[in-house]
Amino acid sequence: MKRLLSVLLISVIVAGCSNEQSFEPVEIDPEVDVCEVCNMSVSYHAYATQLYSKDGDVFLFDDVGCMFEYIDKDQQIAREDIEVQYVRDLETEDWIQIENAYFVYNPDFWTPMANGVVSFKSEEQAKEFVQEQGKGEVLNYDQLLEHKWGWEG
Amino acid sequence: MRNVVVKGLGFILLLMFTVLMRSPTTQAADIQVSAGQSIQLAIDQATSGDTLIIQPGTYTESLTIEKAITLRGEDGVVLEAEGEGNAITIMGEGVTIEGLTVQNSGLNKTDSGIYVQEGSNHVIKDNVFKDTMNGIYVNKSQDNTISGNQISSVSEHFSNRGSGVFVLGGSGHIIEGNVMMRVQDGVYLESVSNAILRNNQALGSRYGLHLMFAEDVVAEENHMESNITGLMIMDSKRIRVLDNEVINQFHVRGFGLLIYESEDLLLEGNEIRQNSTGLSLEKTVDVEIRRNIISANQVGLEFIGQNKNNIFTKNNFITNIVQSKISNNEMQLDNGEVGNYWDDYSSFDITGDGIGEETYKAGSLYDQLLEKQPYWQFFFESPSIKLWSQAESFFPSISADVYDVRPLVEPVQLADDAAVGETSRDLGVLIVSLAFLWFSILCIWLGRNFA
Repeated sequence: MKRLLSVLLISVIVAGCSNEQSFEPVEIDPEVDVCEVCNMSVSYHAYATQLYSKDGDVFLFDDVGCMFEYIDKDQQIAREDIEVQYVRDLETEDWIQIENAYFVYNPDFWTPMANGVVSFKSEEQAKEFVQEQGKGEVLNYDQLLEHKWGWEG
Repeated sequence: MRNVVVKGLGFILLLMFTVLMRSPTTQAADIQVSAGQSIQLAIDQATSGDTLIIQPGTYTESLTIEKAITLRGEDGVVLEAEGEGNAITIMGEGVTIEGLTVQNSGLNKTDSGIYVQEGSNHVIKDNVFKDTMNGIYVNKSQDNTISGNQISSVSEHFSNRGSGVFVLGGSGHIIEGNVMMRVQDGVYLESVSNAILRNNQALGSRYGLHLMFAEDVVAEENHMESNITGLMIMDSKRIRVLDNEVINQFHVRGFGLLIYESEDLLLEGNEIRQNSTGLSLEKTVDVEIRRNIISANQVGLEFIGQNKNNIFTKNNFITNIVQSKISNNEMQLDNGEVGNYWDDYSSFDITGDGIGEETYKAGSLYDQLLEKQPYWQFFFESPSIKLWSQAESFFPSISADVYDVRPLVEPVQLADDAAVGETSRDLGVLIVSLAFLWFSILCIWLGRNFA
């Protein structure tokens, strides 16, 4: 009996150890999840973003602008300590790694914190959105890094 | 000769007057619309200035109004939009809509009971909105009056609901006496200037009143209860928050008032009671906070990040579980003359001017630790933390210095009517005691006489 117990215990511990840190995007619960920067509830799914630190902590934002504010203005985390950042496709709400996403900016686009930047899975979809709206400027990730945000004032 | 000229002139004037009076454009008509007829048809046939009086009944249609007419519903008029788009779309100037029950708009983000697309001087009053995504959506227009409406959104989680009154851009709106229940935000103002929010009630929603990038807004005598956050002010300027009741925001993320990245605010005469966090200020500059009651909250006052020049005078901080939670730079709270009443303050008033002789210190080292290690909440009020806080008070330089140099030793008597109540009670006591006195004298007199 004792041996069985110890085998069980060891197997549980081993199972626990073998569990690698996962950096998969977390599910958003709008009831309790709030933006790390502006305190607003993450109610609008399509605009939500998230960031994993190398330590495995996850931070949620209601607007891609808030995520940039968190890194660049508030300097809450250094870029080299970031493992991965996710944004969402505006239409399908699928999570995309930020480097692979395409963005459309126009100050008239409504976003939760009025940053006017929305994200898409592919460049074609971004261009389609611009055509639909009749305005907007398509940016890739590198261009977004150079973008001047509303909060930079 | 002169007489004739005068008479002639008078005649001409009279003629002009009658012609003007007869002019069909100035003659407003009342048009009756009864059940079974189309309101839209009547709108198309009406001219500016007309009033459409809608007879009771259910009208299944969506309306578009582009001229200055009035739609007045008698008791029991229902406009059913069957889950498609907006029930009513308004353009142009001076449209009035009153007394309708509007229901079942579409479910897209901007779908609404009444969608104001443009224009100015529209009046939307005494309507009922049921199962509309947004009740009233006001897009970039001026000087509208929205009053006496009852609004509730669709029965979904608040993240999938619309707002009671959603205002995007524009200026000069008066939003008064509306009741918003189970919406996303009771009133949402984004990039709006010169608005008045008065005497509204927001219940059971996400945020009661939500201001973003707003300027010159007055929020007074509103009642916010059982929302996630009562009043949320973000990135706004020159906001006056007066005499509101902000009660029972007990959600795990709940705040009475949350003010973020704003400047030049006045908070006066508000009652902030029974919230998870009563008043939270983050990155906020130039705020005057006076004569508020902040009581029975889990956390009374919270500072996050860099706040500057937040002046607190004559506020009552009473029976909060944690009086204040501070992670902040140095700041003096009082204005140098008068501070606030903190019920956890204990010192003596030797000079008898109502002000304690020792400085009141808000927050403690524990607050800063909590910010870094939230799980240390477990040790709240434990003997070790108490000992630590006590020891720390002898070396105040260690902790964040947010302090009140002029703390009051007695609570501030805030409401004038409270004083009135007290005098009338005194009068009552006087009358009763006089009656007792007369009765006892009577007893003594009777006793003596019969003895």
